[in-house]
Parts: sequence; structure tokens; C-alpha cells
Amino acid sequence: MITSISWKNVWRNKHRSLIVIVAVTLGTVAGVFVAGLMKGWSDQRVHAAIYTEAAHIKIQNPEYLNNEEISFTIQNYEKVKQFVESQSTIENFTSRTKVVAMAATSRGNTAVTLKGINLAEEKQVSDIHKFIVADGGSFFDVDHSNPIVISDKTAEQLRIKTFRVTTALIDSLKSLQVPNNVISIAQEYEGRRFYSKTKFSKAFESELTKSEARKYGSLITELAKYYHLRSKIVFTFTDMHGEMTYQSYRVCGIYKTSNTVFDAQNAFVRHSDLTKAAGFGPNDFHEIAALVNLEESTEKAEQLAISKEFPNSNVMTWRELIPDAAMIADIMDVYYFIIMGIIFLALAFGIVNTMLMAIMERIKELGMLMAIGMSKKKVFWMIMLETIFLTLSGSVIGMALGALILKITGYTGLDFSSVGEGFEAVGFAAVVYPNIEWGFFFGIIVLVILVGVLSSIAPARKALKLKPIEALRTE
Amino acid sequence: MKVIQIKDLHKTYSESEVEVHAVNGVTLDFAEGEFAAIVGPSGSGKTTLLNMIGGLDDPTSGDVKVGGTNMSDLKGEALTDFRLNNIGFVFQSYNLIPVLTAKENTEFVMRLQGKTTQECERRTIELLQAVGLGERINARPSKSSGGQQQRVAVARALASKPKFVLADEPTANLDSKSTETLLDIMEKLNKEENITFVFSTHDARVVKKARRVITIEDGKIISDVRKNGGE
Repeated sequence: MITSISWKNVWRNKHRSLIVIVAVTLGTVAGVFVAGLMKGWSDQRVHAAIYTEAAHIKIQNPEYLNNEEISFTIQNYEKVKQFVESQSTIENFTSRTKVVAMAATSRGNTAVTLKGINLAEEKQVSDIHKFIVADGGSFFDVDHSNPIVISDKTAEQLRIKTFRVTTALIDSLKSLQVPNNVISIAQEYEGRRFYSKTKFSKAFESELTKSEARKYGSLITELAKYYHLRSKIVFTFTDMHGEMTYQSYRVCGIYKTSNTVFDAQNAFVRHSDLTKAAGFGPNDFHEIAALVNLEESTEKAEQLAISKEFPNSNVMTWRELIPDAAMIADIMDVYYFIIMGIIFLALAFGIVNTMLMAIMERIKELGMLMAIGMSKKKVFWMIMLETIFLTLSGSVIGMALGALILKITGYTGLDFSSVGEGFEAVGFAAVVYPNIEWGFFFGIIVLVILVGVLSSIAPARKALKLKPIEALRTE
Repeated sequence: MKVIQIKDLHKTYSESEVEVHAVNGVTLDFAEGEFAAIVGPSGSGKTTLLNMIGGLDDPTSGDVKVGGTNMSDLKGEALTDFRLNNIGFVFQSYNLIPVLTAKENTEFVMRLQGKTTQECERRTIELLQAVGLGERINARPSKSSGGQQQRVAVARALASKPKFVLADEPTANLDSKSTETLLDIMEKLNKEENITFVFSTHDARVVKKARRVITIEDGKIISDVRKNGGE
């Protein structure tokens, strides 16, 4: 009965209650969306940290961590490998060689780490092969010798990536019905080659009007992008015998992940190709990267097991290898509720105010209820429930709308490419797929009830201070 | 059997250093099944007397005993509980809960008493039929006339099966026809259920119906007339 009265009381002043409900709805939608966005970013960062950059655990020579010298390979590699292989809780693993090298083309140079990989194993542990860009070749699906997959960033540094206007680009612009004056400006650039995206777009867009630049600038820049596949890169590095050596590779693929720093540092070659020049023996590997079957074990448990067996090897989890991603994953759960808490704290002032008005309008009725035998405990309960219903109504609608928005944006993704360079510089994706766990909504319900209870204290105290006889005299 | 026993009851208010004796030494009894009216001019102390009988106001001195229980001994939740189970109230301005229907308003006190749904249902229908609102059990106060609302208030007052009903100016806001109907209903319930009714009123029509008329002036009883003879 009290529950029913409390619910009906919410709708006494429909206009006022609806204002509060709309405010709570908007606050909840905003909170759910921001939390979903943060979760999307965090999940994508953690996923990239594990499946692109580090794997669950990595076994290395402890000396290699202090000094990335080619000779610091894993000690007793064969035994370590056999042990890892025998662990049923390890899902997949791969061994890699790593060489820090100076890369040079006829137009540029940069330092990268060459990772010698076994293609079949690598695909089981890392998803780097999925990041080959459009028109950026393939992940070693070529038949020329010494193929290499480099990042878009490295391609830019080595000037393998250029921007140029070709006849094909002009044809594309025509088919896309780009205005003739824009096409004729583009035609003036035919035959010229730019090595920087910024220089190309600045030069080209300076000849367009602002609205044309906004509309067609990024489209033309994207179409003008060209990767010179099969370009030759010469790498200079120290081999296993401490001698300077060099080896040339031809670009077969360009990848781009959401982490520019990772991209700038890593290039992938076949282990067999790198072995020839570096002079690796059959058991010379710098790291074993492994994925743990998380349903059966944890990365921490595997780390302990391997460390115990091979004290001369360094075993690190992705949490230790990429601590920023681990920290984000850890604080994110608390962070959502901080966001929601701040939103609901602000809303609570409005809710308290509304409830106080509702109580002031009903003083005579509350006096009557106490006179005919309603205990103060029940009066308190009635007001508290009314406040909870008021808050919960808005937040349930807000959660439904928020979930719908997350469902849609989680499917389409949110493109922050215009400011994406900044995000990617710190390892966050420019295209985010917001998502949230169902448990978060359960948490919101608990939070809403808590806010309802706290917001009802002041109005309920006001009601409980009333003396029935005095309240009944109120007009 | 005496339902209410009042002995030397006083209520004094202090207003700007002047003491006002709203009730000044009232001694009075009400027996089971009485249909009594307390009359007197405005400010004579009849509402204050009714409030003290109902445990809504504390006397300055004196005792009010209801069914042997001294009201002064009850405080807080115990007093609220006592009112719930022993006293029915009818107010001048009906004081129904606007968001509830006639049925819900009537069964409200029974719900507070913790009665079962079937019990509530049965008695509510019975009472609403008795007050002539059997066809309007789902009507909200805003859709009902003043007379109909006051009849729901009477049904609510009787729902908890109280020892007596206190009605403060129950007909003050009603027209003649509604007053007549309401008084007939209360008289019928008084006779059929043997429930004591005590009114405070100015209304001559109520005085005419009452079987006992107590006149109060300046907080003192100046006459106590029983219509079947005797004073």
C-alpha cells in the first residue's frame, strides 16, 4: 500500500516530476555514454596491449631488459620452449628474434626493431596481420625475397609513403562528382610528389575555399596517399658475432595500429630471413610471447610457474610490460562510478528541492496520516520510496536510452580521427567502439537507490518533525 | 459501559503573557453506542477537547481514559498505534488522500493495521455500500462531491473497527442534502455497529440528530442534555 501511494505521489504534480525525471534521464544518458566511451577506449587499449603489443606473458633474457643487445637471447631456450609447450593452460605461443637496426632508404632513415617472426605461430598470438592498411600490400603474402612489413609511421619516416595526384585520382574525383574547379586545382598538382600529409594538404587546401577544403580536403588527401610497395630498405645492425652487418628488405606490407609509438618502433620480417644476416643459431630467440587460456589459469599463475622452473629467465605479464594499460584497466571500474556519482550528486540537489516542495504542499495530509495512525517510520518509508521512484524512473529511461546509444555507436564506432593523432600518440584508438558491461547498470541502480535514500533524508526529516495537530491546522 | 472517561481536564495556552484556558476543568463520560454532539461558539474549546480525547493534543492537567487506558501514559509510536486501533477520525475538510480511490482511502487504515487483502476487501465494500457509495468505489476524491468525500471519510473512520469516532465539524462544508444523508448514515452505523460518535459542531441539523448535546463555553461545560430525558 505504501509502495503504491509513493508511486502515485510521484505523479501528483506531473509537470514538476517530469522536469526532474527528464533531468535524471539526461544525466544518466550522459553518464552511461561517457562511461561506455571510456570503457571502449580502455578495452581497446587493453586488447591492443595483449593481442597486438605484448601477449599475456613474455619470456626474455633478464639482461636483454637492461641492454637490448643481440647476443642476450633466452637461456636454455629449448627447455623453456618444451616447458611452455607442455603447459596445457597456455593456449598459443611464438618465439621471436629481435634486432635493433638503422633503416635507410634513398630518401630517409630511422631506427626500428626488426622482429623475426614465424608467420604461422605469430598469427596465433598476435593480431598484427589484421592491421594492414588499405592499398598497403599484404602480411607476407608475396613471393619476392626478404619481404618486410613496416608501419605507416615508418613508411612516412623513410619516405615510402607519398602524396601525389594521378590520373586515376582525377577520374575518381569525377566519378564522385567533385566540382570542376576543385578538380582543375587538383590537376595542377599532377606529377608533383609530397612526402608529408601536412605539406600536401596545406599546399592543396590553400587554393580551395574554406568550405571546399572542409568538404573535399581530407577526401583528396586520402586518395592521394600512395605507398611505394617493393621499395628497398637497407638495415644496418650488429650481428651475433659483434660485427656490423647490413641486409636489405623489400616492403610487402604497411600496417597501422592505434599506437603510434609501437608502430614507429616495430617492423616485421621472417625469422628465417633475419637469421641469415644476424647469424642466429637454431635456439637463438629473444622472446617467447604466450597467450594464456584465461578460463583455466591466469597470466600471474603462469608467470610464477615459468619463473619457478627457469629462474634465469625473466617472465613478465602484459601488466608489467605495459603498465599504463594495466592501470587504465584497473581504475576504469572505479572511474565509471566516480562519473556517475558526480552526475547524481548534482542531480540530488534538484531532487531534494523537488521533494521538499512536495512535502511542504502536503503538510496537512501528512498531519492527517499521522493522526489516523500512520507511524513516523511508515511516513519516512513513504517519502523515501517516493524519492527513489522519482530518481529511478529517470535513470531507468536514461539507462535504456544510454544502452541504445552505446549499442548503435558500439556497432558503428565513433571516429575521432580529426584529433586522432593525439590519441594514437598515447596508444588510444582514434575510432572508438563504446561498450559497457551489464553489471554497470546494476551498479547504477544501486547508486540511484543510494542517491534516492540520501536525497529523501532532508524532506523526510521535515515531515517527521511535524506534529499531527499543528499539521492539521495548516491551510 | 464507559468508552471515554474525562476527569478535570485543563488545557492552557500562553499567548503574549496572557493565559488562555481553552479547556477549563471538564469532567465527562461517554458510554458505548452514544451519538453525542459537543456544541458551542467559536473559540469555546470544543475542538481542543476533541483533540485531547483523540490523543492529538496533550492536556495541561487532568486525565482522558479510553477503554481504561490513560492517554497521558502513551507516547510516540505507542500513541499512534493506539489511535490507529481505537479511534476513528472525521475531519471538517474530509482530508482524503487525493491519489487514492474511495476503496483505497477506506482500506488504508486496515492496511496500516496489517489486515489481509481479503479482510480489507470485504470490509471496504461493506462500508462503502453502507455509506451509499457501492457504485463509486473506484472514484478519486477529485471526481467526487464534498458529501461523497465526507462519506468516504466516515467509511475510513470505521474501517479499523474503532471504539469510537471523533468528528470535528463534519458537516461544515456540506449542503443541506449532503448533511442530511451523512447524518442518516452515521446514525444508522451508530445503531447497527453500536459505535460511539462524538461530534464537535455548530450545525443545528447535527444537534437535532444527536441524542446527547453537550454545550461548552469558555472551556467549561455549561449543559449536558440527553434527549431521552435527564441531564
